[in-house]
Amino acid sequence: MSDTFSYLLMAWLDPGLLGLTALGVLAGIYIGAIPGLSVTMAVSILISFTFSWDINNALALMVGIYVGGVYGGSRTAILLNIPGAPSAVTTAFDGYPLAQKGEAGKAIGLSTVMSVIGGLIGVAVLAATAPHLADLALQFAPRDYFLIAVMGLLLVSSLSGKSLARGIFSVALGATIGLVGMDMVTAQPRLTMGSMELLGGIHYVVVMIGLFGVAEAFYQLHNMAKVPVKQNVDKIIPPLNMVLKFLPLSLRTSIIGVVVGALPGTGGDIASLFAYDHAKRTVKNPEVPFGEGAYEGLVAPETANNAAVGGAYVPMLTLGMPGDAVTAVMIGALVIHGLNPGPMLMIETPYIFWFTVGNLALANIFLLVFGLTGIKLFTKIVEVPKAIMIPLILVLCVVGTYSLNSSMTEVYWMLGFGILGYWLKMFGFQMGPIILGVILGPLLDESYRQAMSSVGNSSGDFLLGLVTNPLSLVLTSVIVLVLLGNSPLKGWLFTRFKRD
Amino acid sequence: MIKKIERVRAGEKVFDWLLLLFSIGVLFEAYRIDDGLRLNSAGSFPIGLALIMIVSSLAILFSHRRKQRDPTILNAAQEFKVFLSEHFKTHIIVFSIVSMMYLAAIVWTSFYISTFIFLAAMFVYYRQGKIISSLLIASLAIAVIYVLFTMVFRVYLP
Amino acid sequence: MTKPLFTQMAIAIGSIAMAGGALADYPERNIQGTIQWGAGGATDNVIRSLTPHVEEILDTTIVLTNRAGGTGVIGMNHVMRQRPDGYNILFGAENPQLYPLMGLADFTYDDMHAINIIGQGRVVIATHPNSPFDTFSELLEYAQENPGELRMGGTGAGGLPSTIHAMINSVSELDVRTVTFGGDGPGVTAMLGEHIDFMPLSLSAVAEQIRAGRLKGLAVLGSEELEDLPDVPPITEALPELESFLPWGPFWGVFVHKDTPDDVKATLEEAYEQAVASDGFQEFLANFGGEPLNLSGEEAQQYLDSWQSVTAWSMYEADAVETSPEELGIPRP
Repeated sequence: MSDTFSYLLMAWLDPGLLGLTALGVLAGIYIGAIPGLSVTMAVSILISFTFSWDINNALALMVGIYVGGVYGGSRTAILLNIPGAPSAVTTAFDGYPLAQKGEAGKAIGLSTVMSVIGGLIGVAVLAATAPHLADLALQFAPRDYFLIAVMGLLLVSSLSGKSLARGIFSVALGATIGLVGMDMVTAQPRLTMGSMELLGGIHYVVVMIGLFGVAEAFYQLHNMAKVPVKQNVDKIIPPLNMVLKFLPLSLRTSIIGVVVGALPGTGGDIASLFAYDHAKRTVKNPEVPFGEGAYEGLVAPETANNAAVGGAYVPMLTLGMPGDAVTAVMIGALVIHGLNPGPMLMIETPYIFWFTVGNLALANIFLLVFGLTGIKLFTKIVEVPKAIMIPLILVLCVVGTYSLNSSMTEVYWMLGFGILGYWLKMFGFQMGPIILGVILGPLLDESYRQAMSSVGNSSGDFLLGLVTNPLSLVLTSVIVLVLLGNSPLKGWLFTRFKRD
Repeated sequence: MIKKIERVRAGEKVFDWLLLLFSIGVLFEAYRIDDGLRLNSAGSFPIGLALIMIVSSLAILFSHRRKQRDPTILNAAQEFKVFLSEHFKTHIIVFSIVSMMYLAAIVWTSFYISTFIFLAAMFVYYRQGKIISSLLIASLAIAVIYVLFTMVFRVYLP
Repeated sequence: MTKPLFTQMAIAIGSIAMAGGALADYPERNIQGTIQWGAGGATDNVIRSLTPHVEEILDTTIVLTNRAGGTGVIGMNHVMRQRPDGYNILFGAENPQLYPLMGLADFTYDDMHAINIIGQGRVVIATHPNSPFDTFSELLEYAQENPGELRMGGTGAGGLPSTIHAMINSVSELDVRTVTFGGDGPGVTAMLGEHIDFMPLSLSAVAEQIRAGRLKGLAVLGSEELEDLPDVPPITEALPELESFLPWGPFWGVFVHKDTPDDVKATLEEAYEQAVASDGFQEFLANFGGEPLNLSGEEAQQYLDSWQSVTAWSMYEADAVETSPEELGIPRP
């Protein structure tokens, strides 16, 4: 027990580790904020860089970058409507309207505090339930991932704005984009139109940077005359009663975040989408409607994506299986440092587990410090004249896209998506459902085909499986309930009832 | 509850027709993956998605019947004019053309040179002069990108 | 007195600098390294732990980029289209040797120059501990009595499980449902949850799970038991005919453009040979479950050719591919 305690506090007491964690968080915030620079990339660069270091030092730096990076995505989402990472897409929905009202400072302050709350809940769940949560995650069969993806598709009604038909079109368009490339099972090219470059598919960050970044630049050009809003930076740190008011919501969305993060097939991006949807369904009377600057719309995704960090460590530390792309690279780092990540890791080298838990908590404390300082300077970005901002946004998009895969073709695609996004936006389409489709399309296709292959391509057995397995039955019921609650059927029943 | 009748934007109908055409194109490409319809194969989802896109774009087109045209727009030629004046203002066209030239130039020259020229040119154009400060801001941006991407993250830029 | 000393020093420094300059012809700037597979995978792990050793020897920086996708076609295509000056290196796995056969691309490693074949992975067929089978023979027997019932984890056409499956089918019959995953990791996760019945995998992906008793090994692909995996029988016990394909394994290698100048090739070959042989890397490889090869030049070419011929013909004989290796000029093993 005293061992556990000393492992937990290791990062807190060693000045070297303390410094590295702080450095990691600070660097992570900027990496996360720049679209195209991802935490995965930063951590894999660090592997070569920290090769000769002591493992603890390397891990401290990586944990810091991970925590800072997941948070950093919200910065550009709020300030420029360009999410720095896919898990911050939903943050832009309400964060950017807030910045347009001159409340960017308040939005960043609130998102920082909520990220830290989410992050700490994630760590707490990791510390308390890791082995059990991992066993639960293993119970998810391909069939269940399919159901989760279907559940995700139902979010389209929350994200579509006024026209559901346009929302459904956008989701299908996004999913189609997500399926481009070589088929996973048969290696046939799909929708590539004979292009070699497209065999690897279209990276969803390319789509995201185009639809949000470049489309935003064009949109701003369209309204060139509009003067940037003066930002109010008096009250950056959210008052305690505000935090308390959102605490119940943030607890719920954090739990969503940890569980979705712990599933090896899903991560923070899907978690934040579910959390946003949850907030929209459960908060009936927000002060400001969702999509126009509701604080709840900011709280939900920010708590969920940071809680997902704790979740992603669950399968990594207990089973040696990655919970997401970043933990996959970290497993590689452990291997290179001569450790054996696997089920024995917690038994043979328990200090790695407790050290990581303590370090994650520490990183969240640093996040609070760094997140709340320098906001005034950051909000100035919104006040930069458009004449300077618009060309810079385009350059940032180009660099961000190119640094993903060093491919100019992807840069051209990014510009293409930007132009498409501009027109879609002009004619009443929302960007959210497209990104939803791009993220969920491959998961839907993969899990459906795995599930079908598992039952020998018998659709009868497939459907039976959805209601006979306890876990699948729960997921199916949720879907049916949401469908019933959403569909015109309910409205129809309701109006009939009223008329009588 | 009185519903406000939405106006159709100039060019919206044409755009929605294009979406339908695009969806049909996707269906065609998707059908070619398997040369047929199967329940569990590479082509099943693309075909299904293409069908959803076709149905929803038809629904979008159908919804136009409930919307009203702008009463000032009388014929197609006029609508086209409104469309042009709304979306093809000089500064948007200049930005689009210069951006494309910029992307092409990255491959020919190098990233840093073309970016510098692009930024400087756009700054000078949009700020109507102020050449010195524009050049300064462009250089500053280049310096930041260099430090961040080339030195710190060792991203290879062309 | 000071002046002559100063001149002497200047001359000494100058000559050192000149000598240094002559040696530093290549590499004089950063080298771009392209990894054919994604971050966190086996190829990525091997390359990222080898690279620091090479950087030290060559005294330069190798900037590693993961260009995954299309079974590695994307990454290889990229390096082949760069200038042949030795500043673009490809780090790849075995897959390109089967591209023409699978109809993925019309090039193979024959169209590049092999700097080093670093090593090869060992393969094990694994299952979950609640499985009724203890050896591969038992599983094979059950599968033959109940065709199309067991669920095998795969990684898609051209992946390791599909190759092993084809090898088995070329000498026997194994009719199963193939459930395809995005890689070894998701496959192992599904097996831990008992959503599939068995999966052929590289040892590095499952060694820890087997050691912890979370998975169990049915057979190792080889003719002898492995030291690290006692009590897991060799596959030849169930299928003696497989002997002719062995030893076989997925490999990792370092490649450059074919038209790279000879002296650059030589510099790289020497550096990589030294790095792969270094104690630090050998220790990593052993821990990782890989078998060191460290082949270059003629030996590397021979290895690549024989790997291609064995694999291609076994896949063809198992009806896993339609194109005949003969049409592609791949000789029979």
